[in-house]
Amino acid sequence: MRVPPAARRVVPAVTAVMLAIGGAAVAPLSAQEAAPARTLTPGKGADLTMARCALCHEITHITRARLSRGEWQDNVRNMIERGMPIAPDEIPIVVEYLATYYNRSAAPAADPAAASAAAAQDPVQRLLGDNACLSCHGVDQKIVGPSFREVAARYAGDAGAGARIAGKIKAGGAGNWGTIPMPPHAGLSDAELAQLAAWILARK
Amino acid sequence: MPDKNNVLKGRPVVAQPARREFIARIAGTGAVVAAASLPHELFAQAAEAPKPSADPAGTVPNSAVLAEKNPALKPHSERPLTGSVTAENHNFAVTPNDRMFIRNNLLTPDLDAGKHRLTVKGLVERELTFSLDELQRSFPVVSVQGMLECAGSGRAAYVPNASGTPWPPTGGMGCPKWTGVRLRDVLRAAGIKPGTAHVAGQGGDFGVIATAAPVIRSVPLAKALEENTLIAFAMNDGPLPKIHGYPLRLVVPGWVGSASTKWVHTITLLDAPFKGTFMDSSYRIPRIAVRPGEKMPADAISTEAWPVKSMITYPAPNATFKAGKPVLIEGRAWVGEGAIEKVEVSFNEGASWQRAAINSGGDKYAWRIFSYEFWPPSAGYATVLARATDEKGNVQPIVSAWNPLGYFWNGIHRVGFMVEA
Repeated sequence: MRVPPAARRVVPAVTAVMLAIGGAAVAPLSAQEAAPARTLTPGKGADLTMARCALCHEITHITRARLSRGEWQDNVRNMIERGMPIAPDEIPIVVEYLATYYNRSAAPAADPAAASAAAAQDPVQRLLGDNACLSCHGVDQKIVGPSFREVAARYAGDAGAGARIAGKIKAGGAGNWGTIPMPPHAGLSDAELAQLAAWILARK
Repeated sequence: MPDKNNVLKGRPVVAQPARREFIARIAGTGAVVAAASLPHELFAQAAEAPKPSADPAGTVPNSAVLAEKNPALKPHSERPLTGSVTAENHNFAVTPNDRMFIRNNLLTPDLDAGKHRLTVKGLVERELTFSLDELQRSFPVVSVQGMLECAGSGRAAYVPNASGTPWPPTGGMGCPKWTGVRLRDVLRAAGIKPGTAHVAGQGGDFGVIATAAPVIRSVPLAKALEENTLIAFAMNDGPLPKIHGYPLRLVVPGWVGSASTKWVHTITLLDAPFKGTFMDSSYRIPRIAVRPGEKMPADAISTEAWPVKSMITYPAPNATFKAGKPVLIEGRAWVGEGAIEKVEVSFNEGASWQRAAINSGGDKYAWRIFSYEFWPPSAGYATVLARATDEKGNVQPIVSAWNPLGYFWNGIHRVGFMVEA
């Protein structure tokens, strides 16, 4: 996950002028606050956390929070109760990431090793992560949508399959595999779509 | 994880059949909403995040919701959509639609009033289903002005921060006029069976993914039978706006907003509080205050009626006045159950307090308007504090007790303004 410093924009805060009195609650009568980051701090588990969490809600729910490990455990459990698709072995990875990088008592800087690992990552894996594909599709396992292997099997021997799959990823759709609609991914370039389609077809 | 197995037990991996049917039904109504873009500024920096896809069919895009709101209404999150205006934008006797707060848990459904049905089931003598017309024809139609306030209203005032959307210190509430039928009339028509303890509402909102848990909350039977608890179809004399529950919603005035199920289609009578994540993990508060950062205790209780609270709606922060003329301080005071006994104001940071005037009368669950004519003794920067007391003697605290999910902020409100010579 890349974190361009330019992405941290500063805007005037919603007038922070309504104050509680007493203790640390007293703040200046007008304040500027940084908008929460729209990317996660690079570190082990960042990509997985982005893929699982940003499927349903914007990532600022995480980046503006600082919570204890126990509170993050509660939050992840709560999200699983609310329908978050996550594999059992992924849960501790997400909790560990959140408790490490968005902790009340210590929020370490990005792990440079993880940042360079992300940069060196297989481009298809990064596309799958950035677009939350794996939240709904497993390689072998049906989650919300079909597994990639099922898709590859259905299109086996079809010469136009690559273009058709690329089109479906871009436009989204429903009806081929069930009633649950797949959201469109209009932001992907043709090259990225072709990369993803080729990768999926190779899962057969 | 403290108890991994327990966590995993509830893991929904595939859509429940009911959920699939519902989504298909929505899609089948032809109520397909064009994929409108969200306000540019909301997504200006979204390039690196997985793109929340275009708005799913059968939902109202955020841009359409916000277009009907006053520019003073600021979103606090975009998915789910939440937003509110601050105290100085609440200086109305009755909250206008465009200033009513927004708190979704899921997406905003685009429902067809003609096809919408309300079903009453569970511990009833006979299960009943109503169209909107049938509901209005079958029961007396009543109007009440009543408070709704998000449980997390004011959360950003907690120090240290509490978990959840940072609602600004003021303004996450509203007091519109609601019109509908009494929930108790409908429940009695269905026949309340002995043993009924709670009444649950379920609405037609759905999530980005099919596994999203439905938002279901229940209230004790006594509150469901209260004469001001409504199944509302109108807000401020017009149809409910889509974001506020069109075509039908529960209105459980004085209680945390989540009790007032929007887009309600099913009411279920139960022998115990509903068991589900929105009852058992969210909207809870410890019985005894915990150290900040601690997890929610297992014996936490469900949030119900709001504690006594007030806000100063005039002047706006940092307004300027001329010395030698009075400043008419105005505000609102309310309590979830009971009545406001008095409101006091202070102009010396709480060292001494003066009684404000309160309007008398008004609906049981409506806020009270208070006012105080302040003659600045000298030029300079002045501050006003307001604190309300209810009929049971509960007084607003200086700072509310910290709790893990940051609910029920009702700390004393303070506004500064300038008096020029």
